[in-house]
Amino acid sequence: MSFDLTIEPIGEVIEVEEGQTILDACLRAGIYIPYQCNHGLCSTCKVEVVEGDVDLGDASPFALMDFERDEGKALACVCTLQSDVVIEADIEEDEDSEYLPIIDYTGMVSEVTALTPDVKKIIISLEQKAEFQAGQYIQLDIPGVEGPRAFSIANSPDHGDHVELHVRLVAGGAGTTYLHNELAAGDGLSFSAPYGHFFVRKSQNKPMIFIAGGTGLSSPKSMIDELLEAGYEEKLTLFHGVRAKVDLYYQNYFQALADSHDNFTYIPALSEKKDDDDWDGEVGFVHEAVERYFDGSFAGHQAYLCGPPPMIEASIRALMKGRLFEKDIYCEKFLSKADGTDDKRSPLFKRI
Amino acid sequence: MAEKRKKKLGIKQRYSMLTRGLGWDTTYQPMDKVFPYDNYEGIIIHDWEGWEDPFRLTMDAYWKFQSEKEKKLYAVIDSFAQNNGHLGITDARYVNAIKLFLTGVSPLEYQAARGFTHVGRQFRGVGPRVACQMQAIDELRHVQTQIHSMSHYNKFFDGLHSAPHMHDRVWYLSVPKSFFDDARTAGPFEFLTSISFAFEYVLTNLLFVPFMSGAAFNGDMATVTFGFSAQSDEARHMTLGLEVIKFMLEQDERNIPIVQRWMDKWFWRGTRMLTLVGMMMDYMLPKRVMSWREAWDIYFTEAGGALFADLARYGIKPPKYADIATKEAEHISHQAWNIFYNYTHAAAFHTWIPEKEELDWLSEKYPDTFDKYYRPRLEYLDKEEKAGRRFYNDILPMLCQVCQIPMGFTDMDDPTTISFHSSEYQGNKYHTCSHGCKDIFDYEPEKYVQAWLPVHQIYQGNCGGAEVPDVLKWYNFNLGADNMEYQGSPDQKLWDEWQAHRKKA
Repeated sequence: MSFDLTIEPIGEVIEVEEGQTILDACLRAGIYIPYQCNHGLCSTCKVEVVEGDVDLGDASPFALMDFERDEGKALACVCTLQSDVVIEADIEEDEDSEYLPIIDYTGMVSEVTALTPDVKKIIISLEQKAEFQAGQYIQLDIPGVEGPRAFSIANSPDHGDHVELHVRLVAGGAGTTYLHNELAAGDGLSFSAPYGHFFVRKSQNKPMIFIAGGTGLSSPKSMIDELLEAGYEEKLTLFHGVRAKVDLYYQNYFQALADSHDNFTYIPALSEKKDDDDWDGEVGFVHEAVERYFDGSFAGHQAYLCGPPPMIEASIRALMKGRLFEKDIYCEKFLSKADGTDDKRSPLFKRI
Repeated sequence: MAEKRKKKLGIKQRYSMLTRGLGWDTTYQPMDKVFPYDNYEGIIIHDWEGWEDPFRLTMDAYWKFQSEKEKKLYAVIDSFAQNNGHLGITDARYVNAIKLFLTGVSPLEYQAARGFTHVGRQFRGVGPRVACQMQAIDELRHVQTQIHSMSHYNKFFDGLHSAPHMHDRVWYLSVPKSFFDDARTAGPFEFLTSISFAFEYVLTNLLFVPFMSGAAFNGDMATVTFGFSAQSDEARHMTLGLEVIKFMLEQDERNIPIVQRWMDKWFWRGTRMLTLVGMMMDYMLPKRVMSWREAWDIYFTEAGGALFADLARYGIKPPKYADIATKEAEHISHQAWNIFYNYTHAAAFHTWIPEKEELDWLSEKYPDTFDKYYRPRLEYLDKEEKAGRRFYNDILPMLCQVCQIPMGFTDMDDPTTISFHSSEYQGNKYHTCSHGCKDIFDYEPEKYVQAWLPVHQIYQGNCGGAEVPDVLKWYNFNLGADNMEYQGSPDQKLWDEWQAHRKKA
């Protein structure tokens, strides 16, 4: 049994399990509600219940006053749902969010191509045009696999008659094994979309740095395609980190884009260059290439990071060292089932 | 397609609409003259608008919240008094923890009110000014409610009658007092780093959780209730501590080494002060919650570890000497109790040798140190006492110039050797108890040579007289009641009578 929770002022709708707290559901859905004690004692996570019935849980009478209970306030960290509910929380509005509703789609696989030895490009053609923001992801149902899997969309939302996915084969992963070995053009696939808060904040008109690791290239590709097509004028710099030359894909595509757009620069980097790789580009971790290119100074930019957690963490440290902070850093961590949960974090940062 | 909901103003926008324009740039006097303190510490702020309000509360809502908290708290305090709540505590020895709290900690709430009132005037940015002013009022509420909650015990037990007076004079209370004096006499950014960050964020759980769960475990519901009431304000205080650190670190990279030095300093000063809490947890609670070592592991090593892992992104390192402080968690409570056992004739609370089961509990909690170093001493002292030779130390101890704790702590790698450090300044020698305190002294010797060290003051004749009883009278002690061993104290006699009555009834 689960209920729908609508979160104002952003209008996002998420699913909440019976007995699951509002805070837990929001954090798992990537929606940050300020919180501290997580035990109903401190009142940092206070929200207003606008519609629906809730159980206030074990909220301390000093953290949630009687008059607040009468006014419909609740502490998200101990509050559970008894019906579909609408809350209003202390969440900052994002000017660039289109707050698109999640829709179920069914499409047909029109292309499966190898991009590298362990990455496949999968294109799903759609009859109903998909609505999403560049950078967002889908939840794909994979035949014979329990629960959907998340994949970022690699094409621009201007071409929503299909979605392009980049799928790396995860050793022992049931979902990606199926997609690599069984899936063929002509197959039907269903998914729901769009998900996530990883989209470009173009309203701020800042130069953008994209740092992609492996198949983390998908979201930045969608973003860059859309920005360039729309004539975005600020500088865009894409860094793509992979291990060896054989793992690099879309090199020609981005090089051609860079040649035809003065404001776009493309810098691939190999972290484990092989001796026989024909390569005169950047060598080393991708965040090191970023530091070298910008001479360690990032103030005034926006950064978009997409890839495995160690690459994200190293990039965040490099950017912060170069005076770029949380409000200008956006990231999408690629977690596979094997990565498990995040390490214990402090409340110092909200999104990164 | 589902209909999209109409966007509403977020709480942040509403708050800024409500408060916009409450500050202004002065015109007939330069801002630097109106706010002379917020740049002399070397902290560089380019944009005060970069301050993110850590909480958004209007004064109107604030009064409403606080008044309801008060109503609830005073209902509990009243019923505690009417129902003779003091009879429900585990043992009269517990009240000594209350004595330590009322004389050592509650006056700090008042010091905090003074400190936040001061810095609430000194920042040129409106955001931090308002946050500090609100916290100043919170702190006044805390000291009031604590005094009111604990005043019930003052009707029956000794040592609770003159907390503010004692706080200003008594030797061991100069440890917490000098901590706050040091913070309040620093600049406004250092004050927030010391109190809002190091104290209220990094170390607060090591102070409040032990006292409040100690109270809950020992049947003291009045204290538990003021703990809850204060903790609901604490969330605001903690977020202020985090925000000020982020603000300084993000405004200019030249702020980083200054913030690092303050973190090192105030972490060390904080852990020194928390020695009193460690001792309370391990020795003074008849029913124990957890050991000081366990509390340290949970609240500093784990929670603090997560925080400093995040701060590393700014180039901030874990506090200097955190490794030594972690080693100290094995020793410090035992060494402190030993010091107080030595000087109970000059303290406003009682000490005692733990009972057999209590010693066993300590052996179990400190398997590497207690049986080897501390249990034999306690058993020896116990034997002496039973033979009519309760030991009191009549020699005044040497104090650390910085933390003002008697120099009784040992080298942590060699727990039978006292740790001595010293520095020369303008031809005089100054003593410190540790590397941490010595570093603090050496960085600002001109500040710490002014320390009001109780033992020096006694010897200089500034504390009521030359003999110990003269000094104790100057402290406002009831001699023979407030001080001395618990066994045979008026507190104990009264408690035993009550227990006997209860048995008869």
